[in-house]
Amino acid sequence: MPLIVIAEDEFLIADVLAMMLEDAGYEVATAAHGKAALALVKEKPPALVITDFMMPLMTGLELAQAMRADAALSSIPIMLVSGAQGSIGRAHPHIFDVVLDKPYEEKKLISTVVSLIGSAQALG
Amino acid sequence: MLGGGLVTSASYILQGHPGAGKTIFANQIAFRAAERGVKVLYVTLLAETHERLFQALGTLDFFQAGRLGVDVTYVSVFQTLREEGLSAVVKLIRQEISRQGATLLVFDGLLNARDRADTQLDVKTFVAEVQSQAAFVGCTVLFLTSSRIEEESPEHTMVDGVIDLHNELSGVRAVRRLQVKKSRGTAALGGYHQFEITSQGVSVFPRMEAVLAHTSVPDQALHGSVPTGTRGFDALVGGGLPEGSVSLVFGPSGSGKTSFGLNFLSLATEDEPALHFGFYETTARLRAKAATLGLNLEAPINSGALEMLWNPMTENLLDKLGHRLLDAVRSRGVKRLLIDGLGGFERAAVYQPRMVEFFAALTNELRALNVTTIATWELRDLFGPTVTAPGSEVSSLLDNLVMLRHVETGSRYRSTISVLKVRDRPFEPVIHELGFGPRGMEVRVALEPVAGAATGLAQATV
Repeated sequence: MPLIVIAEDEFLIADVLAMMLEDAGYEVATAAHGKAALALVKEKPPALVITDFMMPLMTGLELAQAMRADAALSSIPIMLVSGAQGSIGRAHPHIFDVVLDKPYEEKKLISTVVSLIGSAQALG
Repeated sequence: MLGGGLVTSASYILQGHPGAGKTIFANQIAFRAAERGVKVLYVTLLAETHERLFQALGTLDFFQAGRLGVDVTYVSVFQTLREEGLSAVVKLIRQEISRQGATLLVFDGLLNARDRADTQLDVKTFVAEVQSQAAFVGCTVLFLTSSRIEEESPEHTMVDGVIDLHNELSGVRAVRRLQVKKSRGTAALGGYHQFEITSQGVSVFPRMEAVLAHTSVPDQALHGSVPTGTRGFDALVGGGLPEGSVSLVFGPSGSGKTSFGLNFLSLATEDEPALHFGFYETTARLRAKAATLGLNLEAPINSGALEMLWNPMTENLLDKLGHRLLDAVRSRGVKRLLIDGLGGFERAAVYQPRMVEFFAALTNELRALNVTTIATWELRDLFGPTVTAPGSEVSSLLDNLVMLRHVETGSRYRSTISVLKVRDRPFEPVIHELGFGPRGMEVRVALEPVAGAATGLAQATV
């Protein structure tokens, strides 16, 4: 199963996001901030990273910048899921592959994930 | 109210039941601080999601989405609390304060932290650690919590200040009140203060008698006279009302109180700006009334010499009214003021016993600002021996008393005026008849000798 790492400090959002992705057949690992997410990504490179913007210790932007600066991680697609900071994400198209504005519907989330890494079934 | 605001590096508890306004108040403080260049860290535990919060805040003027993640940063530490405990939260907060360069920390969810603590000592340690970490870098802390925390709790004893928000029912209306329960290092105003939440956020109206326990400027005894604009009246009171005095003009409905006041306002000039602070008739109706009476209010209104502020007699807040009045007086240097009428303040009072102190603070300040004030008071009965003037204690705060009455004599109703009291000067204690001339209401002749005119039920004297 393809692995997706979620970086999100708000556990309610992280939980719901994880459930939706698991239902769609993906494996999910969550981290409560960018720093923990970066550790997860380094430990086992995922197929996709979905990150929030405002988080303790390391923001979504800092996480993405750290990944892009690391040759081993730079090709992993990154999706920024954010409300008010969506514009900041869009200002860095070379860092974020896609910016998904909150609130979003499950269908929209899954279709965006599929467009980035393909469906879980196809990926096996 | 806090005696100068939040103290740098100090910590406060902002508490209140759900719906009391804590979140709005804290966010307002955060965004206003950000406007002054302060970096704010807003830490939440188990609460609504940040997006929901931003959605709700989006309706308020102070909220600026562009500041999110730039100088006002929201982070949730619930997962850290759940998985690693209170000490990990303290560590994370310390790192975040340092990383963001924050000098204001809002911690929303003290109760959740409390629930995670095994002992009171753990709570105390948590609060002390957050406080001291923040204080080390000059960061002020606001802990938000519901009112379930007892006054003798360790949190209360440790913080520098406690601000309590209430939202209570008074009869059928809801009243919001704020209380600074504790404030180390500043002379906060004690007791309850009314506040409201509008699109501008929280606006607090400190109790008049607390904030103006002493007048804002020294009072000076003045000796001049101010013409009233009612022809024939000034002669009864030695040339006009004493400058900087407060007069009560009372009488039943239709006896001419407002007309007397409009005469007074019609003399507004650039050097002597005037203010109409009314509760009954709208500005449009008063302008029409003045025109009917032959008074020219349009010129002073258009020139800015006269301002008219109407306060519908609906659910008013007493101190908001008082501050609105004084703000209008101070902003334009008003010298002639008509309050039409005092009953509007009385109706707004949630706690009637404080009216004497309220009026004392208000009238003292108006005198100190050298404002000559006429306030009207409506008598309940058109006729009869009972005169329901404001309570005797309130009346004693007023310098001059003028009574208007309908008097029935010889199957005719006559409008009369009489002076009952003038501060520090003699006056003519004779009841006079009122009439209307080409320039409004005017005092005419002394009423023919009758008995009982003051009750409105006159009888010819033998």
